[in-house]
Amino acid sequence: MKIVVAYKWTSDPEEATVGADGVVNWSRARPGISTYDPVAIEVARGLAAATSAELIGVTVGAKGVGTPLAAKAALSRGLDRAVIVEDDSLKGAGQAELAAVVAAVVRRIGDVDLVITGDSSVDVAAKMVPTVLAGELGWPAVAEVTDVTGQPGALRVGRAVPGGAQVLEISGPAVLATSADATTPHVPGMKDLLAAGKKPVEHVDLAALDVPASSAVMTITGRARPARKERKHQLLDTSDPAEAAAELVKALREVGAL
Amino acid sequence: MSVNAWIVVGDQPAIGNLITVARSLGGDGTIAAVVAGPRAVAETVAASGVDRVVWCGTPDGSPAEASAPAVAEAVAADPPRVVLGGRNPGDRVLLGAAAAALHAAVLTGARSVTVGADTVTVVNAVYGDISDETVEISGPVALLLDGGSVPAASGAGVPIEEVTATPYGVKVLETIPSEFEEVDLNAAQRVIGVGRGLKAKEDLSLIEALAAALKAEIACSRPVAEGLNWMGKDRYIGSSGARISPQLYLAVGISGQLQHMVGVTGAETIVAINSDPNAAVFAQTDYGLVGDLYELVAEITSVLK
Amino acid sequence: MDFELTDEQELVRSTVREFAEAELAPVAGEIDRDHRFPEEVLPKMAGMNLMGMPYPEEYGGAGTDYVSYMIALEEVSRGCATTGVIMTAHTTLATFPIYKFGSQAQKDKYLSDMASGRRLGAFALTEPAAGTDAAAGTCTAIRKDNSYVLNGSKIFISNAPFAEIYIVFAKTDPDAQGTRGMSAFIVERDTPGFSVGEAEHKLGIRGSSTPPLYFTNCQVPADALLGQEGQGFKIAMQTLDGGRIGIGAQALGIAQAALDAAVAYAKERVQFGKPIASLQAIQWMIADMATSIDAARLLVYRAASNIDHGFPYSTEGAMAKLFASETATRVADRAIQIHGGYGYTESYPVERHYRDAKITELYEGTSEVQRMVIARAALR
Repeated sequence: MKIVVAYKWTSDPEEATVGADGVVNWSRARPGISTYDPVAIEVARGLAAATSAELIGVTVGAKGVGTPLAAKAALSRGLDRAVIVEDDSLKGAGQAELAAVVAAVVRRIGDVDLVITGDSSVDVAAKMVPTVLAGELGWPAVAEVTDVTGQPGALRVGRAVPGGAQVLEISGPAVLATSADATTPHVPGMKDLLAAGKKPVEHVDLAALDVPASSAVMTITGRARPARKERKHQLLDTSDPAEAAAELVKALREVGAL
Repeated sequence: MSVNAWIVVGDQPAIGNLITVARSLGGDGTIAAVVAGPRAVAETVAASGVDRVVWCGTPDGSPAEASAPAVAEAVAADPPRVVLGGRNPGDRVLLGAAAAALHAAVLTGARSVTVGADTVTVVNAVYGDISDETVEISGPVALLLDGGSVPAASGAGVPIEEVTATPYGVKVLETIPSEFEEVDLNAAQRVIGVGRGLKAKEDLSLIEALAAALKAEIACSRPVAEGLNWMGKDRYIGSSGARISPQLYLAVGISGQLQHMVGVTGAETIVAINSDPNAAVFAQTDYGLVGDLYELVAEITSVLK
Repeated sequence: MDFELTDEQELVRSTVREFAEAELAPVAGEIDRDHRFPEEVLPKMAGMNLMGMPYPEEYGGAGTDYVSYMIALEEVSRGCATTGVIMTAHTTLATFPIYKFGSQAQKDKYLSDMASGRRLGAFALTEPAAGTDAAAGTCTAIRKDNSYVLNGSKIFISNAPFAEIYIVFAKTDPDAQGTRGMSAFIVERDTPGFSVGEAEHKLGIRGSSTPPLYFTNCQVPADALLGQEGQGFKIAMQTLDGGRIGIGAQALGIAQAALDAAVAYAKERVQFGKPIASLQAIQWMIADMATSIDAARLLVYRAASNIDHGFPYSTEGAMAKLFASETATRVADRAIQIHGGYGYTESYPVERHYRDAKITELYEGTSEVQRMVIARAALR
């Protein structure tokens, strides 16, 4: 069985700064594996171990997403090998474009039984790459997945729905997006880090892939900083909690918040 | 008549906002909806004021996701300028299938949409809403938006066109109801958000006492809702959860990370209680209290009584 | 000269930092307040392969280079200085003697358990009247048939009584001159005649357990002797040569934690209408702190790199420990200064960093010992 985990190498907007002109400055942000992708890798690892499947990491993006450091960071979490597409034409690519490239990589790998992705990326948080990817592959997609067991052709998938949970049976290849709390990923140990350097990494040229052309070209024509409410930033003296509480309630009553 | 906008609908009809957005696009085209859920949903949608409704039927024991091929086929048969879908998991999958069929661009933070002669212009909030980008798209656009509420019936309604297509092999084996009651945070005037600062599930009773005194709803930041299963996922506030604009938001034991705070930027007044004086949350509050939440929450509750 | 870390070393830093922030930092304040040894953390450290990093995989270690080990130790200490000393006392002080001087039988018996973190170790050299003057120890180990009988006491022994395996230094020839006559032994915790005394209450690293040990006619088998009779002092000194670089790394972690706290505070604390980080006085303090830490880091990494390349590291290790420890105390002091009155309270972590920093100038060879080592080399 072949399981592909699609992961993202990117920065956390928490570390970015925005100018008054709305331009986002990423220079102080350190890129890493997107926050919830290790959950997807962990779920995939569990299934791969149970089914003796090969676990293949796939990532696509601008130059930098496939440096040896980035690849090892991903491999150290339990992947068997990685397939990476790095091309600066993918800088600023939208979710649909990225999904189309990932789909092309999955087709190139061939005989993939399952693609697992994270809930959403830490920087864009669109939650759409897995669903468009499934559309491109012609496979079913299920989101908010909490656990996966079984064999290709008869996968049992637990997933959250509004109001509860469901267990699904999926009879063919599929794209599964794990929920952020599906499991707690283990932190790689020192041995895992050293072993990562020995695992195979394949770099594939974007030009060599058969990516269906997009019908929609996106151009950014403007940027702005969203208007934010001015906050008072008042810190109350909490040396006497009872007094602080009284002061807070009084202030809230005065501004009409109570 | 050409289709201006398709709305993809899964197994529940909360698409009021999608209809509003579709209408705002103007132009001569029609607003069509494709439903992959129970017939009752198709009926609600048919009466909501859209111009056309396509229904994929309900393949035996399958969830809405199984009808993605039928949805994609319907949308691709009459390609629109814009296809819209709501944020819940099933609808996202249907939107993704439609977007792939159209080779459309996908945007998920649209604040406004304008359809021109050749392009669609979207003001799109990006990167946890720290910046707004104005994007011009030269072809079809798929927009993921808040679905809104269930639209009221308006007029006689339109006929339901039934279509079939081979569904995906996905079957529901079991449905397990949540142990938690559902809640609508958007309706609450006052909300208390709980974070990792709360040490044990039992401590929620302290928050419940405050919520009762304050007449507030209880919500949480991601690690609590998803990681520790203390409350239902519909109480999670943040970039992948609810976005609320209450009169008062009280953040208790929440560090103030972007992914959570983006859900409450619209609140009138924000108060935070945290033991870490360097917590990011204090940069985003009107009133901040540095201290032991167990003490402060109890004191505030008693002042309110 | 390449000052860049390898990818593996960068990953060690980011991974151990992630671990330390998730598992160690959240309990650091509590174990300090309660003087509590963080037993629950040890299996997690072992699970991360952090308890025997530089030892070969065939012995249960992770087989990393020494620089990686120092990076990991720094990150652990940045999260929790107590966990840092537990880690280095176990990995270097207790395990190195067996790795370097143990017989095959001893290695087979102990090394795998220790390098994997399954069993915790301790190093027992210091005595009430023998600290810097380690050769003045009065613990004896008298040969009797096929065993040795140990008598005497040790003081300030990190990891006791949680450790199961103790490297104990005692005089097999009490009448020998100077540093000769001392031998090293591997003593297991439950050996009759070996007991552990009351916990010592300290200024800092309060979660580290450092009680005295008492040996009263404690009989150990002859094969508990580590190395040769009379080789003990050499074993101790060589072990401490590497151990002091570890203390340098611990000091680095404490200093970095203090600087990080000071920077965060300076950016947020508003006085006279602006953050104090905009004031030159504060900026200069921070500049000095950052520079000292960077210099200390380079010294620690250079000493560690010398170990990796098979170069001599005794003097370099002494320089690293001396400079890093004095940097840690100075940086922690400045960090409190930047925090003002708040830095003096338990609401902020800097007072703990201040208390934790001091020990790095004292144990595993006081700064005076380090200066002796460096002067000897400089005056050759």
